[in-house]
Amino acid sequence: MSSVATAEPARGTNPGAEARVPASAGPGLRDPGPRAPASAVPGPGIKESVPPAAGPGPASTIVVGIGNPILGDDGIGWRVVEEVERRWAAEPRAGAELPPVVFLCVALGGLSLMERLVGAGRAILVDAVRTGDRPVGTVFDIPLAELVPGVSGHLDNAHDASLPVALAAGRSLGAELPAEITVVGIEAHRVEEFGEELSAPVLAARSAAVEAVLAILGRDGVRSS
Amino acid sequence: MTRLTIDPVTRLEGHAKIEIFLDDAGEVQRTYFQVPELRGFERFCVGRPVEEMPSLTGRICGVCPEAHHMAAAKAADAVYGITPPRPARLLREALYSAFFVTDHATHFYALGGPDFFVGPDAPVAERNILGVLQKVGAEAGARVIGARKAGHHVIEMIGGRAIHPCTSVPGGLTKGITEAQRSEIEAIGHSMVDFAEFSIGVFDSLVMGDPAYRDAILGDVYRDETYYMGLVDPNGKLNFYDGRIRIVAPDGERLGEYNPAEYPDWISERVEPWTYLKFPYLKRVGWKGFVDGKDSGVYCATPLSRLNAADGMATPKAQAEYERFFATLAPANGGPKRMVHQRLATHWARLVEMLYAAERLVELASDPEIASDNFRAMPTATPTEGVGTVEAPRGTLTHHYWTDERGILTKVNLIVGTTNNYAPMCMSIERAARSLIHRGQVVSEGILNRIEMAFRAYDPCFGCATHSLPGHMPLEVTLRDAAGDVVDVIRRDG
Repeated sequence: MSSVATAEPARGTNPGAEARVPASAGPGLRDPGPRAPASAVPGPGIKESVPPAAGPGPASTIVVGIGNPILGDDGIGWRVVEEVERRWAAEPRAGAELPPVVFLCVALGGLSLMERLVGAGRAILVDAVRTGDRPVGTVFDIPLAELVPGVSGHLDNAHDASLPVALAAGRSLGAELPAEITVVGIEAHRVEEFGEELSAPVLAARSAAVEAVLAILGRDGVRSS
Repeated sequence: MTRLTIDPVTRLEGHAKIEIFLDDAGEVQRTYFQVPELRGFERFCVGRPVEEMPSLTGRICGVCPEAHHMAAAKAADAVYGITPPRPARLLREALYSAFFVTDHATHFYALGGPDFFVGPDAPVAERNILGVLQKVGAEAGARVIGARKAGHHVIEMIGGRAIHPCTSVPGGLTKGITEAQRSEIEAIGHSMVDFAEFSIGVFDSLVMGDPAYRDAILGDVYRDETYYMGLVDPNGKLNFYDGRIRIVAPDGERLGEYNPAEYPDWISERVEPWTYLKFPYLKRVGWKGFVDGKDSGVYCATPLSRLNAADGMATPKAQAEYERFFATLAPANGGPKRMVHQRLATHWARLVEMLYAAERLVELASDPEIASDNFRAMPTATPTEGVGTVEAPRGTLTHHYWTDERGILTKVNLIVGTTNNYAPMCMSIERAARSLIHRGQVVSEGILNRIEMAFRAYDPCFGCATHSLPGHMPLEVTLRDAAGDVVDVIRRDG
């Protein structure tokens, strides 16, 4: 059985100094505390601490796998994004400059997730979803605003805020947050028992979810070029 | 009998369900508070090397990976019978102090704050951090975000990653910090002290300065007199990272103090047929049901309980605030120790702890030894069994591991913060329901929220509730008459 460490390969790109700062607030947020300069910490498998690569910029897209990689079907978000990243890096794009895309896998929600999105032009969130009204393994993509109608109470996330509320809070403080957030959801089944195995319908849905994310990335690439 | 249920319409991870049963007269007969349990973590760990546990246990959920990381590292130390060198202790406790400031700040402003700053009767759409920001102002909001950022930065410098630290291992840490980093952490600590004092000022003016909220905190709706648990240092002062576990009775008398490894002699677990979670209680006092008082073994492990259990705080500003806390909420009663039983005071207690954690961070970062290269002792003994305990933001957290002679886990037992508080949470919810629902009652959003406030004070953690999408928790209240027919449904669609 592989360990969590092996389930978390370091991101393919090497975080640059500027990309290391953003553990939370980004441009536009007033920060009365001391400035957090670039850290010299080499941080193994640093993925969760930072949006990586060149860091999200206004034209960039951030692709976030959300979930707990050792909680059954909840790990599907990570598996999808890891594969998308591999495919994105491998796909030849003759003559075309790669649109900036940042890949990230996290087990976060609410404010912490919002803080990871600061600075990106658009975001694609990939996650296991249990709506109960779709067959297990169904892949769908919809704007976040349609998935969560309106703002929700703070009970949404038992420990801070729902993502829409966190985004609104961030914007009210001047943070630059993605104008477009798409959710690629995979209807999940088993998310209450620890284990690295995905249930069969969810595992089977992985490639469809990967294609869905790549399709959105392709659209974005056209738009940003 | 009328049955009232506060229940999510859609099954989402981490949700809780409250059921309130009314009698024919419309009075609350009994309440049940059910939480889902994530299963199989202990089994998942068996067969793995104990060295993996500090990183692995952070995956239990995304709310407090730092606490699990520390408890696991300490349990792994104990498995190898090794004491980390002093610089390692300084580093771990510094990381942990920064984490406490960050976590308590988030709870205060985003979770607890809406009940006070926006008000329990405000529409649910406003009762969130956005509403708080409108009340306390954008500058305060920026300070909250700034404090979170600084806290994550300290955690990353020492722990290697900002959210799921990975540097603590049996015998110490895998890396140290530079002198420049030490200096930076010290400066961050000072800014956190300022932020904690600012937050206490906010609480003072907007909560204690408001007669309605002050009455809610001081009144009996949210008051339960239970035993209290907390880690204390050799001087009897609160410590988050290490110490002996002290148990204090509701009247302030000390029941005892024990080494965390002795927990099986002190704690038993009660099984109830209506929930999967077990209810820990004090063995020496015994289980007497969901009742408070000195004869009931129900105990509480929260920021409030830690203040009640300790003789004081180990840093000067936090000590002054500790004294003001007790002078305001618990006038001297001639007993062995002033005690605060009002559960909503947990929010204030959290701020006292935040100030202590910030001051402690400065103390630790000011110690030149923290930047030493002597951050690990190599384990050489044959691994066997070990217990590691820390105070997590939500209560005393214990990891207990058994291994074979190669250090491969054969058994794992975890007692997490929220579990300690399951019984008192149920009692607080029932007391609030009894106080707020009466014959002729109108079940309004505000009343339901006031009941929820009873358990929100505990900041309960129900597993991995932080990362599910769609990320909203609709609530449904069903009113049934004595015949069981539905007479009303109130639905909150997130």
